[in-house]
Amino acid sequence: MSRISGVIQPAALRLTSACDLRAVQPATEAVRHFLAVQGCPEEELSAIELSLAEACNNAIKYAGDDARAKPIGVEALCDDQDIELRVTDHTAGFEWPEKIELPDPESESGRGLFLIQSLMDSADYLRGRGENTLVMRRKRTSRPVLHNEENSQQKIAEGETVITGMIEELSSCYESLSAIFRHSADQSRISDPKTFAQTLLADLLQIIAADWFVLRLVPPGQDKLAVFVASEPSLELPPLKIPATAKSVDAVEVEAAVKRREVWFDILRPLASDDPLSGPKPRSHGLVHPFFVGDNLIGTLAIGKTRTQFLSGQQGVIFTAGQTNVVATFADFLAIHIANTRYQEEQVGNRLVARELEIANNIQQSLLPKQLPALPGFALAAGCRSAHQVGGDFYDVLKISDDVALLAVADVMGKGVPAAMFAAILRTMLRAAPELMNQPAALLTRVNKLLFEELSGVDMFITAQLACVDVRARKLTIANAGHCPLFLAATGAPVKTFSPEGIPLGIMVDAVFAEETIALPVDSRVLIYTDGLTEALNATGDRYGQERLMKWFGDAAARGLSAKQLKTELNETLEKFQANMVLSDDQTFLIMTG
Amino acid sequence: MMIKTHGDTLQISGVKELGAANSNVFRDEARAAMTDTQKNIEIDLSETSFVDSCGLGTLIALHKTACSRKGMVRLVNPTPSVQQILELTRMHRIFEIVKP
Repeated sequence: MSRISGVIQPAALRLTSACDLRAVQPATEAVRHFLAVQGCPEEELSAIELSLAEACNNAIKYAGDDARAKPIGVEALCDDQDIELRVTDHTAGFEWPEKIELPDPESESGRGLFLIQSLMDSADYLRGRGENTLVMRRKRTSRPVLHNEENSQQKIAEGETVITGMIEELSSCYESLSAIFRHSADQSRISDPKTFAQTLLADLLQIIAADWFVLRLVPPGQDKLAVFVASEPSLELPPLKIPATAKSVDAVEVEAAVKRREVWFDILRPLASDDPLSGPKPRSHGLVHPFFVGDNLIGTLAIGKTRTQFLSGQQGVIFTAGQTNVVATFADFLAIHIANTRYQEEQVGNRLVARELEIANNIQQSLLPKQLPALPGFALAAGCRSAHQVGGDFYDVLKISDDVALLAVADVMGKGVPAAMFAAILRTMLRAAPELMNQPAALLTRVNKLLFEELSGVDMFITAQLACVDVRARKLTIANAGHCPLFLAATGAPVKTFSPEGIPLGIMVDAVFAEETIALPVDSRVLIYTDGLTEALNATGDRYGQERLMKWFGDAAARGLSAKQLKTELNETLEKFQANMVLSDDQTFLIMTG
Repeated sequence: MMIKTHGDTLQISGVKELGAANSNVFRDEARAAMTDTQKNIEIDLSETSFVDSCGLGTLIALHKTACSRKGMVRLVNPTPSVQQILELTRMHRIFEIVKP
């Protein structure tokens, strides 16, 4: 072989073949197989096989009887650039034509040398005494598949790469695990979740050799991604809205959140010019990892490199598989931590609410009279059942004189401490105006004026029913501020309702309240209540309603029940109707019989 | 190798190779199989991986036989390497080459 290139030694095959046409095929087959092992493609093999067959056939064709006893030598040599075939015979040989052309189309022979010439790059017929050699050469068309030895070296190198990758991944895993253990220990020490995330992600950047990060979280109950922490102030970008579908997605962080999978930005898919990240970090490469607790999207973690250092021969590799796993592990760890923190905040919140309700309940209970005053010839009974979320119901009976008293039932619209506070203020105001106690409408007008600013400032209002009873005159003067009607049941007559005109306190500063005076026949029963009674729900969602309450009141009055009995039966009736339902509103009532 | 007749055509198939070692036998068998009524020869080359110059000579010989009967030789579905040899030696001008 004229030239040996590189370090690769040429491969050679030498064989002898009987001088018989039937022996040619096994010989060419052997050469074909040998060259196939050297990585020659199919097309090349067919050309060489045919050329070799033609050469052998020629050698046999021109052999005399003597020569037929001698074998034909076949050699094939191959390096990474050339293939050389040598066919040596022991015949007298033949004259190699100067010009090889195709024979007449109808000729049955004479195409062998033409084929050799066409399929090989060169053919030299070396004629000697009793021995002739045809040397045929052909350049290889494609880069060879490597030599066996080279091949195994390559495989060893590949193996080493794989092992290096595994070591890298293992050490990444180790680093991330130890970082996570370290941070888990820190978790109890660092109470501020922002500081915690910042520390954890700064570690992550080091572990995976990244330059920047942006951690966005979905605030509870909102459909946006708000930056929670970022590696630098320029990355503290405005919140991104999360669309319901991925239609007009432009920001990679939104895309990752909507598609619920990792999104890479790299050479193939660079950051869009309108992507928020491309402002502070143009030409960055990296990935966005969305993270979840259960099915709930907690947030996204964008990690990037500003100057991508390509690994040799692996253009475009930003993070290895191991590093990508580390990103995912850190993000998932953060997700759990954040979910835990939120749960704890919720627990604290719940405790605060519970504490507030307790305070409100205490206020409300303190407003209720410990004992109802005695009125000659009349009896009083009252009840107040607090709902879970304490409102601002209260009742009061203020004795004005031996025979005159003011009955009041009010409902502050609102919950918790503020409602209870307004109830307390209203109670004080009512008590602080003895001169108006026998003029309920005037009292309501005054209280409304005094409370208007405070109530309207917090969008709250109060409904109230005031009734001034004169037991000697057997009359009741009533005024109503948007409250439920007053019921009157007298023997032998249907229940009557009274609801003088008036809007709730705190709606209009100069509201006017009507006043009505009702005669109380002997054996009258009066019920003043809050809408917690009529709004009570049963298990199937039906309201107790005013009609049912009137019917019960009429029946109970006809049975001649006392105030105390009425109270007991009303409580039982409501209890039965609501079964085990949780009270949604306070239920307050005041009963007077006489 | 399988030889069957179909009307005035002799159909040959299952030829693995057509070279110096077997082409004369192939030629003689084909000729022997032809009855007086057959003038065309159809050779299925779909399984033929190797044809050398002797094989080509045989095809020419059969072409002459067919021509003498006012018929023709049709080569059916040659493999790419055989097709290349047929074209290289311009024998595609003599034979009808049929692709499925």
